[in-house]
Parts: sequence; structure tokens; C-alpha cells
Amino acid sequence: MIRVKNLTKEFGSMDNGGGGVLALSSIDFEVRDNEFVTVIGPSGCGKTTLLRIIAGLISYQHGEVSIDSHPVVGPGPERAVVFQNFALLPWTDVLGNVTFGLDVRGATKNDSQAKAKELIKLVGLEGFERRLPKELSGGMQQRVGLARALAVNPRILLMDEPFGALDEQTRRLLQEQLLQLWERERKTVVFITHSMEEAVMLGDRVMLMTPRPGKVKEMIDIPLKRPRPPDIEKSAAFIEIKEYLWENLRAMQTDQP
Amino acid sequence: MNKHALRDWGPRLAVLAVAVALWEYFLSRSQNFLLPTFSHIATGLFHLIFFEPRFWEALYISNQALIFGYATAVMIGVPLGLIAARLPWMDRFLNPYFAVLLVMPVAPLIPIVIIALGLGLAARVFIVVSFALVFITINTRAGVRSIEPTLIEMAKSFGAKETQIWRRIIVPGALPAIFAGLRIGLGRAITGMVMVELLLVASGLGRLLLEFSGRMQSDMVFATVLAVIIEALALLSAMQFLERKIAPWAPNISIG
Repeated sequence: MIRVKNLTKEFGSMDNGGGGVLALSSIDFEVRDNEFVTVIGPSGCGKTTLLRIIAGLISYQHGEVSIDSHPVVGPGPERAVVFQNFALLPWTDVLGNVTFGLDVRGATKNDSQAKAKELIKLVGLEGFERRLPKELSGGMQQRVGLARALAVNPRILLMDEPFGALDEQTRRLLQEQLLQLWERERKTVVFITHSMEEAVMLGDRVMLMTPRPGKVKEMIDIPLKRPRPPDIEKSAAFIEIKEYLWENLRAMQTDQP
Repeated sequence: MNKHALRDWGPRLAVLAVAVALWEYFLSRSQNFLLPTFSHIATGLFHLIFFEPRFWEALYISNQALIFGYATAVMIGVPLGLIAARLPWMDRFLNPYFAVLLVMPVAPLIPIVIIALGLGLAARVFIVVSFALVFITINTRAGVRSIEPTLIEMAKSFGAKETQIWRRIIVPGALPAIFAGLRIGLGRAITGMVMVELLLVASGLGRLLLEFSGRMQSDMVFATVLAVIIEALALLSAMQFLERKIAPWAPNISIG
């Protein structure tokens, strides 16, 4: 379980001489085990910062961030991140990229390659093991990123707008594929998105954030049934939640100068 | 790769042939004894390689300075560039020095170096290092800085320690730029090698050039220069071959 209590993060004022930027203020929420939480909010609401704090990549000034009661002080084997711009090593092939996390953690070559091949097959990239990232489409590259994250067998997946750099059709396919993978093994997921459809389609709950400074406005339950059928977007419940999100997000935009 | 080579070299040789033909044509008509025709240069080069033992002796002497100087420049420059890129305080400290060294003409300093280090190999090595070092360091640093920061973040997210980040991300990522720096540095080192011999030290190839030009043997002057160019191209090609082996993902920034 991920517990965030009264979290405050300010980016320092050292370099530019001006005052610091308060990115997050008194953030309070929980993510239960095996829960899929999507996070949505306008630009500048600190969602990426929040994810990085949970990932253990940046520090914070006040509050508690803990995983199963252990405070987060850095990255850990129970968490893995999927990045918006894929973050693949351009000089290594698909197999080498997927084994990266395992290699860093000291797995033997045979073990890591066996595991990697299994996952490459799972994400539908069998046969592409020797290709370089530049030979792959965006969607395929992100599937490599996903395979890499899953290879280290994390309990928690932290996804930073993973489909944001992709075209709509690829995005929808990957959403379906992600849900299929998730149904097999329900990891805890924190998924940042800009898309309201994506937030409602994927999540058990949506966390709505407001900007400047970043705060949690509301945690919205999504009582839609699992597994989500492909035509879920037409259901009245889906539309209702989506519209509710948009009303709130729109109001936030017009508040800004 | 092979069909590309043919396609590239076809027009290149054609242009060269045209240039040589024009050179021959205009010079043979104008009887200018200071500008040799290409055929004279070619025979001069042939003479140098096969009939002039002093040429090989000079090559040996000059290349001593090149090898020691270039190796030193690489062994100092690459680590310095890597460290400067990763340690911001070091980078800030070194920055103005590099800026000055980059634009400063080194040639006028040669007399001062001679006074300090004498007329021997040490002075020549020092000059070669001064010509080459800054470019190697700056390109190395630029290479490290050009690495996408997300890659380093990604590595950290999987628990990579600093040494692992260096080995798996920074060095491979910077390698293409490092090689570019090595190539430029090599060109600079060769220039330095010849220049110090021309201006003051009078050994090796520089001395040979001075002798030939003193005797108005312009064809031999050009032939010697051509020999240096050929050596430089050979070394650069070797380096490019090495780069293809070590860093095959580097974009093809071909000088040759």
C-alpha cells in the first residue's frame, strides 16, 4: 500500500535567486494494494513530481511517503517506472533494453534474458528482440518500456503519461493491452494522464489534482465493472464520470489568468 | 556498405581528377616555377617514399612527438571532459580556461615553450598536447551533456548506482561525441606536430620542409605536405574503423 500524508514539495530557490516554487502542498492519499489509480489534472499540478517522489527519484521537504509502512528514501525493487518518452537506450537492442533493470540488479545473463524473452512475447514483440529502438514505432517502443518495467517483477507500477507521446489509435490499443496484462496479475498502479477517457477507462479510482500549488481536489470512485469491455465508453456511467472530470478541469483552466 | 562506398567515391574521384587536370593544364602553360604541377608532386612523392631515407627518418622523429603527445592529450582530455560534465563545480571552474584555450592561437606560444622546455622531444610533445587537448575535452564534455537526462533517471529508477550509470549510460551515450573529439584532436595534433618543427625545433618533417623550401624545391615541399596528409587520412580512417567497431550506433559523421 502506498501512503502519502501531508506531503509538501518545494523546488529550491538556489539557482535563479528568486523564491522557490511550491510544487505540492499537503498531499494526502492512499493507494491500496492491487488498485489501479489514475491521476489527472491540468499542467503544473505537480502530478509528475508526485510520481517521481513515490518512485524515490526526488526528495521532499515535509510529510510522509511510505510503501507498506516503509518510508520512501530512494528507488526500490518493489517499484518500477514507465516513462512518457520511453527512455530506451538507443544503442541497445530490444532484448538488451528489457533486461536492463534485471542486469542492474545483478541477475545472471541467462536468467535475465529468459525472463526478458518471456515478457517480450507477452507484450507482443516476439521476433523483434534484436531490433534497435530507432527501428520501432512509438507504440512498440513503449511496449519495450513496459516489458522492461514488468521484468523486475515490481508490485507497484508507476506510469508517467505512458501513452501521451502516441497517436490515438496506438494509444487505444495499448490501453486495451495494458488492461489485459493487468487483469492477469493485478499490480498496484499509479497512472498519470491528461486524458479524461483514459483516466476513467483504466482506473478503479481517479485522483483529481489542482495546480499551483498542487493539491488533491478529490478521489473519485469508478464503479464500472471489470474487466472493462471495449464499449465501456458508451455507457452512461462512464460518460457521467468523464463529464464530471471535465467540468472540474475546465473550471480550473478558467481560473487561471 | 560496399555499394555506398562505390556511389560516394565515384563522384569524389571524378572531381579530384578534374581538379588535377585543371592544375596540370594551367601550370604547364604558365611556367611558374614556384607552383609545381601535379605530376611533379607525384614524382616527388614517389622519390620521397622510395629513394629518400631521410624522409622515413623524419617521419619517425615527428611521429614520436605525435604519438606521445596525442596519447597524453587523450588520457588527460577524456577523463577531464567526463568529470567536468558530471561535477558542476569543476565545470564552472574550468569553463573560462577552456574558453580561452579554444580560441587562443597556440602557435605564438611556441617560442615560449621552447625557452621553458628546450629544443627536444619534450617541447614538441607539449605543443602537440596543447593543440589537441582542449578539443578532446570539450567534445567529451558535450557528449556527456547531450545524453537525455531521462535515461539517467530511468537507470536510477531501477536502482543503478553511480558506477553503473557511468558504465551503462554515460560512456556509451557520450561515445560518438568522444570519437568526434578524438578525430578533431588528431587533426590538431598533426598540425601541431608539423608546426613546431617548422617554426623552431627544426627536426623531423618540419626540418625537411624547411630544407626543401630553402632550396626552392617546391615540388618536394608539396610532396612532403602530401605525405603528411596521407598519413593523417590513414590515421583518421583507422580511427573511424575503430569507432564503427566500438560504437556502431554512432551517426555517420564522416570525415573521409
